Amino acid sequence: MQPTSKPQATAPSLLARVAEGDAGAVRECIARYGGLVWSIARRFELADAEDAVQEIFLDLWKSAARFDPSVASEATFIAMIARRRLIDRRRTRRRRPSTEQLPEVPTHPADGLQPDATTEARKAARALDQLRPEQRQVIVLSACHGLSHGEISAQTGMPLGTVKAHARRGLMMIRAALLGVQEELP
Amino acid sequence: MKPATDPRAQELLLERAMRPLDDREHWELRELGAEDDDSFDLAAAGVALAMTPIEAMPAALADRIAAQAGVASPAASLLPGQMRTLAGVTAPPPSASMTRGAGVAPAQPLATREQPVAPVPEQPSDIDRARERKRSRFAVIAPWLAAAACLVLAVGMWWWTRRDQPGTVVASPSEARQQLLASARDVTTVSWTATADPNAKGASGDVVWSQTEQRGYMRFVGLTPNDPNAFQYQLWIFDKDRDQAFPVDGGVFDVSSTGEVIVPITAKLQVDDATLFAVTIEKPGGVVVSKRERIVVTAARGS
Repeated sequence: MQPTSKPQATAPSLLARVAEGDAGAVRECIARYGGLVWSIARRFELADAEDAVQEIFLDLWKSAARFDPSVASEATFIAMIARRRLIDRRRTRRRRPSTEQLPEVPTHPADGLQPDATTEARKAARALDQLRPEQRQVIVLSACHGLSHGEISAQTGMPLGTVKAHARRGLMMIRAALLGVQEELP
Repeated sequence: MKPATDPRAQELLLERAMRPLDDREHWELRELGAEDDDSFDLAAAGVALAMTPIEAMPAALADRIAAQAGVASPAASLLPGQMRTLAGVTAPPPSASMTRGAGVAPAQPLATREQPVAPVPEQPSDIDRARERKRSRFAVIAPWLAAAACLVLAVGMWWWTRRDQPGTVVASPSEARQQLLASARDVTTVSWTATADPNAKGASGDVVWSQTEQRGYMRFVGLTPNDPNAFQYQLWIFDKDRDQAFPVDGGVFDVSSTGEVIVPITAKLQVDDATLFAVTIEKPGGVVVSKRERIVVTAARGS
């Protein structure tokens, strides 16, 4: 497959082809998004990342037909499917014993973004930059590393109630930025 | 997608993006008609996209996912020695990353997430050198690939010619099943229950499974033989520790006679606690997720 000058226009068709059972699209999907799924899974589950990734791709094959390019990019949709599976795995899987192996949390996400990053990633990065550092830290530990509020509290030393408040306020602001609306906190 | 405006629905959606909801919360979300509102999950996914450096997935894992989906390896169409990733990162070739968790390329910042899969671009001034490198690299590995192919072919032919001979070391499925029954400490045998499906009429047999060895065998008597070009049978293993919507693929197989047929189980994922085995009829090659339209036999452990 040759590179095109309009990658955004060709991207949505991949999951549609997957939904139709196109074996080539399945291969392409693994090649294109395997790194993304793997990287997200590694931050949620250091020990069982390979099992998790296989489950995520099973979910993806089943959910591919639900992808709506008018709502999100393929990468964002796939990241959402990945996070849902990883969160769901917490029901039955034992959490990692400690948080000592967590990678360092970046502080200024927008600085590392490339010009062709997904729209959602750019909006989310800009919204993250608007948050206070402690809010940003809570959101990243929750959204990227899958830590529970209790685990974030233990790692950061913030009171549990503060962690919850930061998580809710932060995610509401990022959602508002992605939707392009201002909303009241629940 | 219309974002939920109900405060309680928003509260639950916010929680869903960060932790598993319990059954009552899921029910409540459904009752509020907000279950399909993905906005909070997409917001969290956007954060993950913005903040997660992309590493290359191990090639062996990509191969397993492809096999699970019933397609050829995604690396098969790549240039020798390259494994493309979302961000255009090149990772080591499969041979360098066959071990669990190995072969991860250095972390890269979020980059060309939306770009189509394509060869890693070269600078114009490097094109000739790059072509020469590819040619010489292929020249180096080509004899090895040919030798490996010959070896595989030879082993396959040897096995094929020896498999029915007296004294051969290759155990038949029947013998392997008996060996498993005799040797595995935790082996369980569960009888099939035939459904009302026409292909299951008069079918019987059992399934033998060892949790510790992660292997087992299906035995059928009277199951309708199939034409592999028309349809195939596929086994599904329901694991207590997994989402019941996604049973583990136990392998696609054919039945050639109404006499006793023994089929090895080839579970594509680790099965921690098998509770139910079910055989469905699927299109040739099997499916990734069964619609469960035609279930022919089931075997429930503990029933």
